[in-house]
Amino acid sequence: MASAPSKHYTDDISLLVVTLDTNPFFWSTFSFHFSDFLSQVLAFLNSILLLGQLNQVVVIATGCNSCSYIYDSSSDRNHASTNGTMPALYSNLLHNLDEFAAKDQQLTTDHKPATVPSSLLSGALSMALCYIQRAFRAGPMHPQPRILCLHGSTDGPEQYVAIMNAIFSAQHSSVPVDSCYIGSNNSAFLQQASYITGGIYYRPPQLEGLFQYLSTVFATDLHSREYLRLPKSLGVDFRASCFCHKQTIDMGYVCSVCLSIFCEHHDKCSTSLYLARLNLMLPQQTVGKERRLNVSGFITLILSCSQESLSVKSLLISSIYVS
Amino acid sequence: MPEVRIIAKNFMDMVASMPAMKLDKLYENAFICEAILRSLPPLAKKYVLQLLHIDGPVSAKLLAEWVLPDGLSKHKVAIDRLVQLRVFVEALDRKNEKTYKVNSTYQRSLQNLLVHGGTLPRESMPSNITVRLLTLEELETYALTQWERFLLQLISPSQVDKNLNISSSLMKVFQRRLLSQRDREAPKLTESGFQFLLMDTNAQLWYIIREYISNSEERGVDAGDLISFMLELSFHVIGEAYNTDTLTDFQRNIIKDLADLGLVKLQQGRKESWFIPTKLATNLSVSMTESSSRKEGFVVVETNFRVYAYSTSKLHCEILRLFSRVEYQLPNLIVGAITKESLYNAFENGITADQIVSFFRQNAHPRVAQRIPAVPENVTDQIRLWESDLNRVEMTDAYYYDEFPSRDVFEGACDCAREWNGLLWEDSKKMHLVVKSEVHPYVRDFLRRQK
Repeated sequence: MASAPSKHYTDDISLLVVTLDTNPFFWSTFSFHFSDFLSQVLAFLNSILLLGQLNQVVVIATGCNSCSYIYDSSSDRNHASTNGTMPALYSNLLHNLDEFAAKDQQLTTDHKPATVPSSLLSGALSMALCYIQRAFRAGPMHPQPRILCLHGSTDGPEQYVAIMNAIFSAQHSSVPVDSCYIGSNNSAFLQQASYITGGIYYRPPQLEGLFQYLSTVFATDLHSREYLRLPKSLGVDFRASCFCHKQTIDMGYVCSVCLSIFCEHHDKCSTSLYLARLNLMLPQQTVGKERRLNVSGFITLILSCSQESLSVKSLLISSIYVS
Repeated sequence: MPEVRIIAKNFMDMVASMPAMKLDKLYENAFICEAILRSLPPLAKKYVLQLLHIDGPVSAKLLAEWVLPDGLSKHKVAIDRLVQLRVFVEALDRKNEKTYKVNSTYQRSLQNLLVHGGTLPRESMPSNITVRLLTLEELETYALTQWERFLLQLISPSQVDKNLNISSSLMKVFQRRLLSQRDREAPKLTESGFQFLLMDTNAQLWYIIREYISNSEERGVDAGDLISFMLELSFHVIGEAYNTDTLTDFQRNIIKDLADLGLVKLQQGRKESWFIPTKLATNLSVSMTESSSRKEGFVVVETNFRVYAYSTSKLHCEILRLFSRVEYQLPNLIVGAITKESLYNAFENGITADQIVSFFRQNAHPRVAQRIPAVPENVTDQIRLWESDLNRVEMTDAYYYDEFPSRDVFEGACDCAREWNGLLWEDSKKMHLVVKSEVHPYVRDFLRRQK
């Protein structure tokens, strides 16, 4: 029997939204040069477009103060302006990237000289999700979306809430977030993002062969992923950041109404203004698959590995209704 | 073989069947490499990309290690396809293990394409030379009407008021497998002809192009050149004008034929002439799965088995007539009914229920296309039931044995047939036995040994 034609394109046609880390503070301190990085990424993007006529690539530049769409393969297909030597992809993208970098620089505010500011991952993720939502709503025929984060700067704990919200929203619309992290230490945010949404987190050990890593691991369409052995992360850093000082913490207090996390005990929750009679304590293993929440003696909830895929928030809420 | 089923495949199969020398020559053209890459199954695409920058051979074992147990069959299909198209070259290494390497010509072309991007052999003409160009919509309607006219002429030449200038010999070639003509009778559609009509435009296009190419040798045209030109054409930008002077004489001849099919539109200016590729041309390089069912549909099927087709085309009316009773025709609407008789007619002509249902689905009117299912379930079920009514008896070629000398020999023969999974029927009282014809040699050998 012939299979029923589905409403979607086949699974191997992908809409790839790439968030590109352009944080100048990171690249100036990093051993690998940005132009080398970019040339490998461009070849990768080109190969994605090469794989299928209907494949679509969107690139979002992630600076340290702003984010911006710098390339959309669906918009320039009609007026491909090749200037002889360079394909339209490269010239358009590089031109927009230049403009973006200049604008981002203007917005730069003073920062503490000793620290390297993190790039605006939360903003880039939200923009990517917005774009994907628009694709979803444009009609019944849309390519399979996925997000690829190409990042190198360290996590900004102050973005914790925004990033987690973006991750859960990606999970809700079943959009996998792949992350290719090129920095020296693992990124807890990206690890969590890929873990929760079912994407791939990978840290290429050698950046000289970045294209090879990108094309072997991240060029895999969602359809082929069912059949291939792809890198799996060994441990995920699940630590949260507190709302009051934006610091990554192992143990903290949770408001029973709005689930805000604090590093120290308060009489009143600053988010929901709830008089915190029940301040909840949250000891966590730093790295691990099991998490234990102590609700100040009321209930003990163990989130096992399988439940982790559910949103942590909804679990917390249900636990509070129990109490 | 009397039953030649038309298989809706793209002409990558034709490419695959070309001799190695010609294939390597084709791969020098980056656009052909790209078209080939896009036609591959998803896993194969990934393998090509993965091995693109690896110069040495990679052992087959290493490639297979990436695959999960579930995907092994897909992996095999992908590798077979790559080897068939000579994108991967198979070899044995010193330890006598199978290795694969990307075809060096192919590799070079694709690497170049990745880094530098592709440039067409001709540039589009500036708009001040060309007169008013068609808009994309106009171009699409032009392509579709042209294609429909061609189809109508193909299946019922009498109904066309204005003949296309495709030579009648070429038309005969296209009709060869679709129409059968007896002396002094009107030509009749063959089984494959019916199936052909129900395919979507792209599949039909592929079929015609395939016939066109396979016939090219007879006309003294090199199939390789033809394929490479067509694939190249598919990478031109829709709606842009390209000067015909950039074509070789050979290509100029072809492009006239293609214009009749609606693949390109030819226009003449004061001094120069140019061609504008349409969507049909650019779809040549798209693989089948991607392109199907993207046309706006026109058919509404209701639960009372009535079919409403919002269409002015004679061709659509002819197609609907294949499996439904057309009741009346208004200027923009054809109303028909699916009846048992009309369907039996269709089944007799070799159309299957699935083809009919998928035709309804693919051409569903936008209003009903959003519904799930687009065709009412009771209608699809009934169509399938009526089809299965005709298939109540299943035929199997078989051999019949009797007059066994003894019960032991009979039982031995039964066991032998069972072992080969070919025992269809036995009567142990009268010692009669029926086995599948494939198993016959084994049972015969067994009986000979008993003597």
